[in-house]
Amino acid sequence: MKAAIKDHEIVPEAEWLKARKKLLLKEKKFTRLLEELSEERRSLPWVKVAKDYVFQGPNGKEALADLFDGRSQLVIYHFMFSPEAEAGCPHCSLRADGFDGINVHLKQRDVTMIAVSRAPYKKLAAYKKRMGWSFKWVSSGDTDFNFDYRFSFTAEQIAQGKAFFNYKMQDPGPTEREGHSVFYKDKRGDIFHTYACYSRGNEPFNIHYHYLDMVPKGRDENGRGPFWVRRHDEYGESTAVRK
Amino acid sequence: MLTMKERNMKKDSKSENHAVVAHDQWIAARKAFLAKEKEFTRLRDELSRQRRELPWELVEKPYVFDGPSGKETLADLFTGRSQLIVHHFMFGPDWDVGCKSCSFWADNYDGIGIHLEHRDISFVTISRAPLPTLEAYRQRMGWRFKWVSSLDNDFNFDFNASFTKEEIEDGTAFWNFGHQRPGATEVTGISVFCKDKDGQIFHTYSCFQRGVDLMNSAYNYMDLAPKGRNEADQNPTMAWLRRHDEYED
Repeated sequence: MKAAIKDHEIVPEAEWLKARKKLLLKEKKFTRLLEELSEERRSLPWVKVAKDYVFQGPNGKEALADLFDGRSQLVIYHFMFSPEAEAGCPHCSLRADGFDGINVHLKQRDVTMIAVSRAPYKKLAAYKKRMGWSFKWVSSGDTDFNFDYRFSFTAEQIAQGKAFFNYKMQDPGPTEREGHSVFYKDKRGDIFHTYACYSRGNEPFNIHYHYLDMVPKGRDENGRGPFWVRRHDEYGESTAVRK
Repeated sequence: MLTMKERNMKKDSKSENHAVVAHDQWIAARKAFLAKEKEFTRLRDELSRQRRELPWELVEKPYVFDGPSGKETLADLFTGRSQLIVHHFMFGPDWDVGCKSCSFWADNYDGIGIHLEHRDISFVTISRAPLPTLEAYRQRMGWRFKWVSSLDNDFNFDFNASFTKEEIEDGTAFWNFGHQRPGATEVTGISVFCKDKDGQIFHTYSCFQRGVDLMNSAYNYMDLAPKGRNEADQNPTMAWLRRHDEYED
């Protein structure tokens, strides 16, 4: 990685442009592929939600239907925060730093976006205040919601290292996992589960990675994953780059 | 030909008549699609790798910006780090407010600068409007990122983020690596620079137009939702967009 920087090829502007234009064609092809993929995603069939889920939120008890807040599309970020934890997951916190400012825009496109975790609502509210976020966050601690949609796993599943996670039987890791679920509510009030993603399926929403992917060093994680991430109020000099 | 409204209603009715299946069937369809998503993720990795392999060009001109700490050179903007990302925010010298689309993108990146700093990256927003105008607008929007003015230098013109009225009129504006007619003297984009140990600065990458698409999570989220971006009835496509303090509800 470092060598790619140290001995990088330096060229005059005309040559730079030639190489850049060549990559631009590939980037444009990629943009069109992304559109096709999104179109295909939306043509996936849906599953009707038959169970009643009741969450604890800022307004007390709220049904899944209430969470749509008058809109027809609901995007849920499954934020890793177990009932026992004192603080939310640092990686989910980084993702939240990225999506906190966009809710107001999504509302205009018939999309309500919220976060759901199993920790009691009081803990969520306190952590949200500490981090200075504005998005809505509800607790699913009293429901099977997280387990049904495979974002939380039982002690038994963890002990056996076997659960249906990201669409196959595997070791899910900790009891809580991160990801997104999408629901649609029709005019009759029926609710449908339309989509969910886990693991690298969440990467389109990691804008920090899109920026890292643009710079010479890239993610620079050496196969270690996002070891460098801290909560935004916890960066001391621990992972700071020497100035 | 359907009108835009009819087309939109058709889209709504499409949502109302969507295929609804049992859970097992859903899993089967979802798994088949997951394979395509994984392929796409690998394709994005490969594209990012190729992007980083692009040659660099040496920046020879000294640029001096007006920033919160006074005059700052391009080298200063690295603030001790070796990589610099610049958002070219459309805000012309005589504009009262910043571009609403750029404001939308800024709502996306405002919270992540501190994280990028821990990956050897400084992030800065650059516009041609005078610094006091930028600062007033930044305060109005409640943003924290650093914003400097390039009003007194050629930076925006040299990196094809601003064009003269003449260039636009005679079709010689070099926008997104081709001759096009942008709708304004300012365009949005991202430029990346790298500084080596000897203090030499290199321009490594720039992107414009849809090249900045991925950096807007709101669109990435809309791509997940049943209605998608749903902009067919919008003219221009982002007609629905307002600054975050300008929505009526």
